[in-house]
This record gives sequence, C-alpha cells and structure tokens, in this order.
Amino acid sequence: MLVAGLYAAMSYGLALIYGVLKIINLANAGFLMLGAYVTWWLFTAFHVHPLLAPLAIVPLFFLFGSALERTLVRRVLGAEPIISLLLLFGVWLVLQNLAYVIWTGDTRSIDTPFIDATVSVAGMQLAVPRLYVFAMGVLVLVGLQLFLTRTYLGRAIRATAQDRDAARLVGVDVERVNGIAFGIGIALAGFGGSLLSLLFSFTPDFGRTLSLKSFCIVVLGGLDSIVGVAFGALSLSLAEAFGVRYMPASLQNLISFVVLVVVLIVLPKGIVGTLRALRRG
Amino acid sequence: MLELHELAVAYGDVRVLWDVSLRVERGEIVTLVGANGAGKTTLLRAISRTVPVLAGRIELEGERIDRAPSARVVERGVAHVPEGRRLWPDMNVEDNLRLGSYPRRARVDVEASLEHVFTLFPRVKERRRQVCGTLSGGEQQMVAIGRGLMSKPTILMLDEPSLGLAPIVVSEMFAAVQRINAEGTTVLLVEQNVRQALEIATRGYVIETGRVVGSGTPDELLASDQIKKAYLGL
Ligand SMILES: Nc1ncnc2c1ncn2[C@@H]1O[C@H](COP(=O)(O)OP(=O)(O)OP(=O)(O)O)[C@@H](O)[C@H]1O
Ligand SMILES: [Mg+2]
Repeated sequence: MLVAGLYAAMSYGLALIYGVLKIINLANAGFLMLGAYVTWWLFTAFHVHPLLAPLAIVPLFFLFGSALERTLVRRVLGAEPIISLLLLFGVWLVLQNLAYVIWTGDTRSIDTPFIDATVSVAGMQLAVPRLYVFAMGVLVLVGLQLFLTRTYLGRAIRATAQDRDAARLVGVDVERVNGIAFGIGIALAGFGGSLLSLLFSFTPDFGRTLSLKSFCIVVLGGLDSIVGVAFGALSLSLAEAFGVRYMPASLQNLISFVVLVVVLIVLPKGIVGTLRALRRG
Repeated sequence: MLELHELAVAYGDVRVLWDVSLRVERGEIVTLVGANGAGKTTLLRAISRTVPVLAGRIELEGERIDRAPSARVVERGVAHVPEGRRLWPDMNVEDNLRLGSYPRRARVDVEASLEHVFTLFPRVKERRRQVCGTLSGGEQQMVAIGRGLMSKPTILMLDEPSLGLAPIVVSEMFAAVQRINAEGTTVLLVEQNVRQALEIATRGYVIETGRVVGSGTPDELLASDQIKKAYLGL
C-alpha cells in the first residue's frame, strides 16, 4: 500500500496537464524515465545524494516543460485529440532515444545506504525509501492543494481548467497558464521519476507499464482532480495488494488494466467527477 | 468613455457584425437590444477581446484596445459578465468572487470589494461557502455580477442578466444594476427584457443582424414603431 504514494506522485502531472490543457501527456513516461536518469547521473557523476536531485530536477523540468508547451504543444491545442497524442508520443520516443544515446540501454540503479535502510514499525520491517516515497506523495498532494486553492496563480489554473473563457474574462492570461501548468506537470513527472529511481532499476524504456497505471489512476480519480489522483492511487494500490493474494504476482500489472476498463464503463467521470455530479444535483 | 467605430467581427468566414458604431459616456446605463442572433453577445466579446476584431476601432478613454489582450482590457477597467453566467461550477461562491479580483489593480482591495458585493447581494453572503453548481439561477447571476464587480470596473458589461429568472428576481436584478450605476459604475446592458431595460437606461441601441438600426433615449425608442412591433408586442 505504500506504493500508493509513488503512484500518486507519478500521476499528478498527468492530471494537471489534462485538467488545464485537455490533452493527455503521452510523454509522461519519458519524463519519469528522464527524472530517474538525471537523479542517477547526478549521483554517479557528481555524488549528489539522490534525495537532493529534485532540487535541480524540478526547476529544470519546469523550464523545459514550459518551453515545450510554448514551442510545440501550443500549436496543437485546438486540434483533434489524435494530433496532440501523436505529438507527445513523438516526444516520448525522442526522449527515449536520447536516453539510449547518452546513457546506453544498460540497466541502471542507485546504490546508497539509504536505499537499503529499513525501520521496524509495529513489528514490521519497512523499507525506508518506500516510506520516504509515500511521504513525498502525500507532501506533494498537500503542497499542490495549497497552491491551487490559496494562491492567485493556483486559482487561475483551476479557473482555466473549469472554464477557460470565464478565466479570460477576469483577466487571466490563459496562454501563460497553459505554459505554467504544462511546466508544473513535467516537473511533477520528473520528481516522480526521481522518486522511482529510489525503488527500481531502470532502462530508457522505463515507465511503460507504470504509465498505464498512471492512466488508470487519473481515470479512476476523475482526470483533472489532484485529490482524485490520490484516491485513485490508493485504490489501485489496494486492488493490487489484494489481487496478488489470489493470483500469480506476474499478473499484477493486469489489475490496473482491468480496473481501467471497469472504471471507464461504470464511472466514466471517475470517483471525484461522480461525487461532483451528485453534489450538484 | 467607450467608443466603437465601424466595428466588424466574423467567426471564421461568417461575418456577424458590420460597421457597428456606438458610444457609452461615463455614468450612463446604455442598453443594447436586439433579436436572438443579432450579434449582441459578439459585440460584448469584441470589447472584452475574447473574439478577434476584423476591422474598425474600439477606444477606451481615447486609447485603442481593439488589439489588446483580454487581460489588459480587464486591467483597464472593463468587466464583462457573460451570457449564461459562466461561473466555475466546482469552486465555492467566495472563490469565484475572489478570482474576480485577479487584475493586480483590484487585488489590494479584495476584502473591501468582497464586503461591497455582500452588501449589494446579502443572499450571496449566506451562500459564500456553497459550491456554485448548486445555486439557483438568480443566485448564480448575482455571483456572476459580483465577480465582475470584484475587478473594480469603471464600466460593467452585462449580457442578459435576467435570462431564465423568475419575474420577481428579474426586478431585483434591475434594481441592483441601477444601484451599481448610482455608485459610479458605467453600465452597458444587453437585454431581451426590453421594457425593463429601457426603464433604467439613459440611452439605448437597437441591433439587427449585426448592424445598429436605431438609437436614442428610452422615450424615443419606446415611441418608435420599430421597437413597439418587434419587442414590445404592441
Ligand atoms: N463561436 C461562434 N462561432 C460561429 N458563429 C457564432 C459563434 N457565436 C455566435 N455565432 C453566430 O453569430 C451570430 C450572432 O450571435 P450572438 O451570440 O452574438 O447573438 P446575440 O445577439 O447575443 O443572440 P442571443 O440573443 O441569442 O444571445 C449568430 O448568428 C450566431 O449563430
Ligand atoms: Mg447573446
């Protein structure tokens, strides 16, 4: 269940980008992978502790994300969904190939005493990195919620997500908000990737199955709600923990796919979307 | 303070406004009437810069704003309360209002503006923690107008504020508009409720299929055969 924090951390960006720009960031996996590699590279080349890597990754990925929005994504925003899907799929492939060129296809992992540390809580041996990643997942949730509800910029982002024209009418520069939201989404993916590198070894192909889980989580949560993502991540990790008791572990990845299909049929608006619809009457 | 010169607007290839010229002086309530699809909403959207201007000029206190970004127009003191309210349904009333103070000029006074809106619409205050999607039509309209006021506008543009409201609520709405005007805000009011709009207006314009076909004081307009036939059913 601790894995819920990880699932959430790697999905917030996807939900934020979908909420504001109404496009699905197929390159999410690429940025997760890149976040993991940058963490590894900073560690092996410069001896930067992996826990400090996000201090560099978050601002860099933010800038890269906003630049990507300004140069490429912006051009396809009004177009059919397939166009942005293809574009971002292309971005993913480019990132992947870059990683092959720079870091080769060898499997990488980070080794520090921190990675292997455990603590015993109530008689259970828990891996410290897992606890840490869970805590980060919660922290990002709280931070994002505060940002989105308490600051003008955060509220402008929510307003743009809910009704773009209305946001324009109160003076929000929605083009700028697009860039910022995409930047934050990419920064969150990079941060998620950095966290992943604490738990898994990885190759440039890293993130493929995890990406499917991200899609499952945001669909479960309601596509554009940050709290929904946390719910979705929790539900999926519970479903998986429960599922492995009754089926071979090799089928664990199937669970997210089954959940995805079931949710799309039963609750197409996700948990939060359905609650909202009920609340509105 | 607001002047339109031979304004033309099109959606793609479809021309919607032709050579529209009109003027709103400081302190006035100017009403814009016309049948469905005449182009009233488009006219307001051109002023708030949420639809591109094809030709012509829009001047606000002598400064051209027809190429300015929408954010700049709000910053300059023009608030547009859109047709259909367009509140953010998943935010509560207070968050909707507070976002109205998004322009830097308005942010410093957000608490005072909020109090002002609450005095104007006490019912909005009672509902401040409620999510907007759950409000009645009249309450939503009050929040929408309140959100417009939160930007501390010098000119408030209202697009059919009485649409879909019960008659008694409509009267409240018109009374509120009059009060807002008396407090010093100029008003440009689009209405289908022609009689009531002309009762509170200083002047009016009639738009038909994208052109201004008449203008004058309420008395002049009420006396014209055109208005009588088309809008008052006389
Ligand atoms: N986004 C749009 N794209 C294309 N055409 C549009 C668009 N919005 C409005 N139109 C067309 O422009 C014309 C004017 O519409 P507009 O909404 O400005 O009229 P209106 O006077 O506000 O009407 P109503 O009283 O129904 O609100 C109509 O023929 C309408 O079909
Ligand atoms: Mg209209």
